[in-house]
Amino acid sequence: MEKKVREPDAPIVQFALLDHILNVARANSLWPMTFGLACCAIEMMAAGASRFDLDRIGAGVFRPSPRQSDVMIIAGTIAKKMVPAIKMLWDQMPNPKWCIAMGNCAISGGPFEYEEQYAIVPGAHLILPVDIVIPGCPPRPEALFQGLLALEDKITHGEDRNILRRFKRVSEG
Amino acid sequence: MAEQDITQASQRVFSLNLGPQHPSTHGVLRVLLDLDGEYIVKADPVIGYGHRGHEKMGENRQYKQFLPNTSRMDYLSGMLFNHGFVLAVEKLVGIEVPERAKYIRVIASELNRISSHLLWFGTYLLDLGGFTPFLYTFDDREQILDILDSVSGSRLTYSYCRFGGVTSDIDSKFIDMTRAFLKRMESRWTDYDKLVSKNIIFIHRTRGVGVIDRELARQYGVTGPNLRACGVGFDVRRSEPYEVYDRLDFEVPTGSKGDALDRYLVRFSEMQQSCRIIDQALEHLPGGEFIAKKVPQKLAPPKGELYFAFESARGLCAYYLVSDGGPDPYRCHIRVPSFGNLNVLNDVLPGTLVADSISILGSIDVVIPEIDR
Amino acid sequence: MKAKEMERVMLLMFPDAPLERDETGLTGAQWSIIVPASSIRDAAKAFDGAGFFLESLTALDFEDTFELVYHFNYYEPGSRVVVRAPCGHDQVPPSICDVYRGAIWLEREVHDFFGIKFSGNPDMRPLLLPEDADYHPLRKTFGKVSAYHKRKMIYG
Repeated sequence: MEKKVREPDAPIVQFALLDHILNVARANSLWPMTFGLACCAIEMMAAGASRFDLDRIGAGVFRPSPRQSDVMIIAGTIAKKMVPAIKMLWDQMPNPKWCIAMGNCAISGGPFEYEEQYAIVPGAHLILPVDIVIPGCPPRPEALFQGLLALEDKITHGEDRNILRRFKRVSEG
Repeated sequence: MAEQDITQASQRVFSLNLGPQHPSTHGVLRVLLDLDGEYIVKADPVIGYGHRGHEKMGENRQYKQFLPNTSRMDYLSGMLFNHGFVLAVEKLVGIEVPERAKYIRVIASELNRISSHLLWFGTYLLDLGGFTPFLYTFDDREQILDILDSVSGSRLTYSYCRFGGVTSDIDSKFIDMTRAFLKRMESRWTDYDKLVSKNIIFIHRTRGVGVIDRELARQYGVTGPNLRACGVGFDVRRSEPYEVYDRLDFEVPTGSKGDALDRYLVRFSEMQQSCRIIDQALEHLPGGEFIAKKVPQKLAPPKGELYFAFESARGLCAYYLVSDGGPDPYRCHIRVPSFGNLNVLNDVLPGTLVADSISILGSIDVVIPEIDR
Repeated sequence: MKAKEMERVMLLMFPDAPLERDETGLTGAQWSIIVPASSIRDAAKAFDGAGFFLESLTALDFEDTFELVYHFNYYEPGSRVVVRAPCGHDQVPPSICDVYRGAIWLEREVHDFFGIKFSGNPDMRPLLLPEDADYHPLRKTFGKVSAYHKRKMIYG
């Protein structure tokens, strides 16, 4: 498997303030794709349900079609048989798109990774460019919230802003 | 010329691929459908998209190292699978479990069964197009997850049951929360009844749809609520009682026709029976230890095999452990109920309409990672 | 009791086959019989006629042989029985998929994991592994294993 995955091309024409406004709009209306593979999918559903409502941050509209979504939340273990389907779905998503690896299995294989494991791909970063990782087995819905808010932070403030969102911003000085 | 083309076109069978990414396939299931117009001619479920190698992992780690795997096979009945594995190993090794631990494990398992059925309820209606019950059932389910979280530390994948008992004792807060939950659900049953069970659209979409008769169920090894909806009252808690189920009084609901509506009604009744079991278990909860005192750290069961069956939320589930006297199992095979439940679709789907196939898929309540192991 | 009746039927069909009763209830089944792999279909037909269902079909890998393990059960308490069929590493046992329709998938799974082909099964595609998989993971010669024994080491 190749290590470096090709990032989507930057747009040719760039506007300064308008880009920022567009990024804020994109960040606050992320439409995830329903892509639950295993146990983490249930916590994703619980995050979209009535107690932890994802609609409050604009991300509650789960679209089954990849053509209509902009973030793919890989929730669950990636089995080798599933990899062509994931690649096909990722390629169908229009730019700009992001990827969140939710759960230990999507980050590094989770509890199923051991030497000579034959059935899984130990980590979504091996097949897709992952923007945000959410550790946990399974991560609580609050953790998924934190991950989505961190993704929003990353979208509005740029690629190099990799810290998780805190309630009080820590100043540089 | 054009007429000939149209006639030939209408005689062609159209192949449709349902999944593996589809909103209502409940995991990564792919069904290759051959359609003649709107009618399904042949259905071929393709599975394996969630295969993680549990059985191979069982062969190269110790019994207690396999505990995390047990919850992750069928994550909706994680506590039930965990419970079943612990019971199997305790029987193999010969560990005595204190009475209090037995009752605690039964309460936790039945709470898990209710939460699994509630989730099925919400997602089944979501598949059929009704968005509201999903929000209500998930809210009820959150109450159960809070209860189990307070005592085990985890919402979905538990390792609460250990060899000899449980990790931590339940306190009065747990008991109060459980009683409050049972009280809350009493009014909820009537709400769900009025909202869903008596809803004319729901009844039209499920009555007579996806009929599984007894002979077909026997051929495919269907168990659980799907089998009970056909009229066979087979429940492992009654036929091979384990823990304290032989001391508790509960009914095993059955249907008569084996269609989707019967399966729904059977699961609905099962939730109420589980509430009854929890109520009785809380009444009779004895004091004492919550875990056996002298459980060896490294278990090395005697040579031999054990096939231990228990009732998970989806049917008869069993662990088949073969021990060679060493610390790792020689073979750890898990018989999962969803295997037969999905297998029967090879014969149930042909002849139905495509729109009904979603209703049938939802009504059999499969969890694909359980089949894929 | 159904299990007792089937015990008599099996002993009539296979008079020399070793049948072990489980008095203590510690194995989870009432009795266990070893039949030759070529006569599995006759045994399965007898169980089908008596109304049993095929609960599980799996295999064990020993150094000297494979062993197919069939669990049959009835809808009454205490009716589980085990039928075992030793099958050499290159043998092709007959399929029981025309007796029990559910056996098509079960045999596909056994073929996936162990490489045992079943003659008469119309569909031997991989069930759980990728379509182009050419390995059989649950064989003890594949991947990480902690033990590989002969059959008599465990069952005597």
